[in-house]
Amino acid sequence: MLQRGAVLLPFAVCLALYWYGLKVWFVNDDFAWLGLRLTIHSTDDFWRALFSPLAQGTIRPLSERGFFLLFENLFGFDALPYRIWVFLTQFANLALVIALVSRLTRSLAAGVLAASFWTVNSALATPMSWTSSYNQILCAFFMLLSFWLWLRHIETGRMRYYWAQFATFLLGFGALEINIVYPAIAAAYAALCARNHLWKTGPLMAVSAVYLVVHNLVSPKTQAGVYGMYLDASMLTTLGTYWTWAAGAIRLREIGWGPVWLLGIATAALLLGLACFVWQQARARGWLAVFFVLWFLIVIAPFLPLREHVSDYYLTVPLIGLAMLGGWAVAEAWRRGGWRRGIAVVLATLYVVLSVPLAHKTVRWQYERSRAMRNLFGGVARAQELHPGKIILLKGVSSELFWAGFVDDAFRLLGDTRVYLLPGSEAVVEAHPELGDISESVLPESLTVRALEKHSAVVYEASGERLRNVTAVFKHRARQLWKAGLSPRVDAGQELCAEQFGAGWYPVEQGYRWMSRRAVVRLGGAAAVGQRLFLSGFAPEELLRAGPVRVAVSANGVALTTFALGPGDNRFERWAELPAWASRQTILELTLDVDRAYIPPADGRELTLAFGTLGIR
Amino acid sequence: MHRVNRIVPVLLAVLLGVSGCKRKDKIRVETTEESGTTLASTVHVADPQASVQLLKGFHEVEQNAWRWTTGRFSVTLRPPIRAAEKGATLQVKFALPEAVIDRVKSTTLTANVNGAPLAGETYSKPGDYTYSRDVPASALAGDAVTAEFALNKFLPPGAVDQRELGIVVSSIGLEPK
Repeated sequence: MLQRGAVLLPFAVCLALYWYGLKVWFVNDDFAWLGLRLTIHSTDDFWRALFSPLAQGTIRPLSERGFFLLFENLFGFDALPYRIWVFLTQFANLALVIALVSRLTRSLAAGVLAASFWTVNSALATPMSWTSSYNQILCAFFMLLSFWLWLRHIETGRMRYYWAQFATFLLGFGALEINIVYPAIAAAYAALCARNHLWKTGPLMAVSAVYLVVHNLVSPKTQAGVYGMYLDASMLTTLGTYWTWAAGAIRLREIGWGPVWLLGIATAALLLGLACFVWQQARARGWLAVFFVLWFLIVIAPFLPLREHVSDYYLTVPLIGLAMLGGWAVAEAWRRGGWRRGIAVVLATLYVVLSVPLAHKTVRWQYERSRAMRNLFGGVARAQELHPGKIILLKGVSSELFWAGFVDDAFRLLGDTRVYLLPGSEAVVEAHPELGDISESVLPESLTVRALEKHSAVVYEASGERLRNVTAVFKHRARQLWKAGLSPRVDAGQELCAEQFGAGWYPVEQGYRWMSRRAVVRLGGAAAVGQRLFLSGFAPEELLRAGPVRVAVSANGVALTTFALGPGDNRFERWAELPAWASRQTILELTLDVDRAYIPPADGRELTLAFGTLGIR
Repeated sequence: MHRVNRIVPVLLAVLLGVSGCKRKDKIRVETTEESGTTLASTVHVADPQASVQLLKGFHEVEQNAWRWTTGRFSVTLRPPIRAAEKGATLQVKFALPEAVIDRVKSTTLTANVNGAPLAGETYSKPGDYTYSRDVPASALAGDAVTAEFALNKFLPPGAVDQRELGIVVSSIGLEPK
């Protein structure tokens, strides 16, 4: 049925469909990973950066931390090498899918079709166009490679394949947590197709069990919110969503394609086609088709409790099972000819035609916003060169651009430059409280007025291709546009805020400011009832070594809160409720009292805490 | 163990970068436009060149023709020739969509130019409008003036959109008298 050269088809499809994925720049979480090196100052920091649980308790040293640390060091902010590496890994995945399916079904056509069907599914668009989701691609690689080695072991009986599988399985934990289900895949295959090997999956399962225990011990639990785990009936609804998404068609409504009922019929037809094939195979006691379905169910299982975070790219690895099933079904129907061939061709065409538009659109969208982010980032870098030491205020930042990187603090990668949105931008940028607080990126009105009047800020229009310096337009209108006075939020490390810091503070150092035992800072009053006081700072090890210190905070002479800082609280953030009267004050004079100080021998000053941001939110 | 001791420094060297590269070398610096801005008397809000004059309260351009505002918005305008002697007319061309008026029932648009207040106007039906007011000569001195607008009722974020929405503006300008 198939010429040998046709094995290149999935690779060609992958390149053609995701071409823009090669050219994307960085967005969102990429900036967090690119900034990982900023946290490394010693060997201990290095190991911590690689292995300590981060966002949502994830530990992915190979697919995220090690990958970004290495590539950032070698290539900096040039995204192309990262992207080439992602594509190369995906090519290895496609080769493994072809090899696996050809071996399992004895049909090269089935292998090629399986790899092609997997490639065109729009669920792959995100991993193929967003570097932070490389974890999906690398996880697929380790899982496919492990399974291929498992098959080789079953076929040859050679233990070296078994132990190689063990090694790749272990490495898979460095890519993504769902690697934990691999033993279930190996066991499912053994149970259905090679039962006398089933017992050998025991050690693999033991490793997964140990990983589960250790991971639960070291990772913080996420009880609620977007990453909350819900082990209840909602898992079935989530499974239904992923099941229909897997067919591709129904998701076209997201880009306004076709009536929903038609897309629903198309989805049903595709899933029915697969179901008929599985039924036919199962009746003939051909359990391989059942195994392919189990692949999907087993790998999607860890995502089912995440009902608030149903994401298409979570289908990347599970889809391999359905793609293998679909590839085999079409190849088999073609071989048998007649009406089966006709139906298979219609369904395969339907699947491809209905999958490609969304995949293409997703990749283009990632490309466009990442390029806009690159332009902004490069523009800010230039503004930083032209106006060293000045605050950079941006105007005209679109919602898309803000949520593509501004919220992820991308500009800290440029060094000490402080980049903010102009006041009022909170009303213009679309709110997504689940992603972040826009107001944290906006310079308070009074600081904007102060910065412009003291010539310590420049304003750039960011709505075009290039940044435009519009400082002159704003400089003389600052007081007209915004309220002057005391800022409700201050950055202790900024000279701009110096006039709000009273007795007890030492001069500004690199982005922070030390206080002695007692220090006073004046803030603009709370804008509304219900706002809270926020304090973030650093407590040195030398201070905490002698036991916890107590920090008392009062406002206008009234005690607000007292908190203790103990071992491990070196970097601290504390919130305190503000009484209703605080919203009626124009000035809140905060007094901070620390009950113990220390004097560094080489310094001679009496030090307690170093502060970053203090303010009302 | 000795092997590990040898590997770790090599790994660290690669990952932490002892290559001595400056971080800035790895950033693709884009050019910026630093030259002065020439202001227009009339701002077509969809014109990319005019965006610098939209001081605050404007959302992104839609359909290459207009922008939603928030409840308060401001522009800077160049007064027409001899406006400081004769005065000028402030004109705002906008639409009040049904989605807004259905919820707020009516809204009043008020304005001031360089702090000089202008009479407001109340709108209670959807449609296209021009808000037009004479601006006294005394408010039009200098190379540029600031026109500030406020709506007494508008849609807060979440009502029909995640953004705060006021009116749909196509142009704001000072016409000579």
